[in-house]
Amino acid sequence: MQLPVLNEAPAAKSGCSSSSCGTNENQMDALPDSIREKVQNHPCYSEDAHHYFARMHVAVAPACNIQCHYCNRKYDCSNESRPGVVSELLTPDQAVKKTMAVAATIPQMTVLGIAGPGDPLANPERTFETFRRLSEEAPDIKLCVSTNGLALPDAVEELSKHNIDHVTITINCVDPEIGAKIYPWIFWNNKRIKGKKAAKILIDQQQKGLEMLIAKGILVKVNSVMIPGINDQHLAEVSRVVKSKGAFLHNVMPLIAEAEHGTFFGVMGQREPTPDELQDLQDACSGDMNMMRHCRQCRADAVGLLGEDRGDEFTIDKIEEMEIDYQAAMEKRKVIHQAIQEEMDSKRLEKAHKAEQFKTEPKLATRPVLMAVATAGQGLINVHFGHAKEFLIYEASPEGVRFISHRKADQYCGGDSTCGDGESVLQQTVRALAGCEAVLCSKVGYEPWELLENAGIMPNGEHAMEPIEEAVMAVYKEMAAAGKLAAKPEALRAQG
Amino acid sequence: MPLKAIDKAQATFRESVMAVKIIESCVNCFACEPVCPSKAIFESKPHFKVNPNKCTECEGDFPVFQCASICPIEGAILNALGEAINPPGSLTGIPPERMAEAMAELQSH
Repeated sequence: MQLPVLNEAPAAKSGCSSSSCGTNENQMDALPDSIREKVQNHPCYSEDAHHYFARMHVAVAPACNIQCHYCNRKYDCSNESRPGVVSELLTPDQAVKKTMAVAATIPQMTVLGIAGPGDPLANPERTFETFRRLSEEAPDIKLCVSTNGLALPDAVEELSKHNIDHVTITINCVDPEIGAKIYPWIFWNNKRIKGKKAAKILIDQQQKGLEMLIAKGILVKVNSVMIPGINDQHLAEVSRVVKSKGAFLHNVMPLIAEAEHGTFFGVMGQREPTPDELQDLQDACSGDMNMMRHCRQCRADAVGLLGEDRGDEFTIDKIEEMEIDYQAAMEKRKVIHQAIQEEMDSKRLEKAHKAEQFKTEPKLATRPVLMAVATAGQGLINVHFGHAKEFLIYEASPEGVRFISHRKADQYCGGDSTCGDGESVLQQTVRALAGCEAVLCSKVGYEPWELLENAGIMPNGEHAMEPIEEAVMAVYKEMAAAGKLAAKPEALRAQG
Repeated sequence: MPLKAIDKAQATFRESVMAVKIIESCVNCFACEPVCPSKAIFESKPHFKVNPNKCTECEGDFPVFQCASICPIEGAILNALGEAINPPGSLTGIPPERMAEAMAELQSH
């Protein structure tokens, strides 16, 4: 018996030509072909592509025109990985050199983004100088930009002139009452404006900018930060509004709020959402919109494949010393990108075929179950439990297997080694997997085995080097056969 | 009084009365530099600075200090009297007592 892989099933066959099919969880496959063509090699837009293609951010945009309660511009800790944080500010010239150096060294690179550390469009000269030069000097690299939207309407014309086909707008609300709890102030028409009035201006500019980009044929992704008790109930409405205006993807990210970051939310004790709450909200929004579930919330100067950061190899000093043959590098990229695309296409067809087969088979009567997977890419279970920096979370149910999210294993604060707070990295990792009932990895040691088992998470090293979805299906079937999946799902979820 | 001395005296007076100052808590975010109507702000190490001879406190251009209206850091820009234009708590909304508590808590770990 073969179970289908829901997030790989082609949408076209079920008649979901647009993005509105709520049963299809893969943001790529649910897209119209014209958009999928544009984003299939963009690592930030699908879990699939991000294992094959690399991206980088260049930190050329330090200034910001608003304040968000989850952001603090003061701190840069090199161990810290989160948006708004960078180690080294670049001039446009340095940014171009860095991009060319990275694209020559990491031939999987397809995308260059400007994401801060402030707001790219609040630094129009630096941002557009970088884009203008890159669209001339590295024409095969896709350019993208993310913005809070305040200065967006004024920038749309200039954005459309460069090689930019993706813009990300962070939209946390469409209601100024809620906005006033997220944005303490904006700088607008030569004044600092606070409260609901500020939020209304920001919201109006975001929506206007979104409409203008769509009218120009530029793809728009919307990012939202989920803040429990503030906008969590509201984000389904945001999803509906931005989709109706033509945004192609909605990325709901969990709030990061730690007191040591010095942010309003961190210091005031605003809590972060739990993985369950995030998943429930993403599921609620997915009826209206393609959801993105694999975002790693990377730094504004991240380099490499998602989830890894090779920024240290490309500091300004090191770039100056590199000798690069740009033309040869571009030709090499073309060959490598082609080969990756072929591999991805063949895997996609294979999975679609299996999904078709499954439709003819009777469904198992079980509750859904979450499993964690240790992988370093290629869609395989290929990482030792103790070496995993993150785990991918999959759900298996009578409907098939779908990708849910990722969870970090090595928190930036390493517990016992640096803080002396008593909890080991291993204990933290086990805690990060709460709610999962199995963990699939290439190997697992004796000590973690025992801890995992005690936490109700079954370690499994029997599927090393197997494709993730097939292995998750196999384990799901074993669990179903052993009668482990008959219990009420709500009771288990409450424990997590 | 010779003319040069008068110029110097005027400059000193002006400096003491009509200029804002950026201090070490500046995080070099560039936000203030382009909004200054007098081009008085310049990049410098370890942080941005204001040329007191150029700063007009935005008089004649805007009713409020432009630099201090976009600056995200409380206390980083002082007025001519040496007072923080954006005092603690005014931008982040974090009450200063709460901030002090949180920092003390973190340091005790």
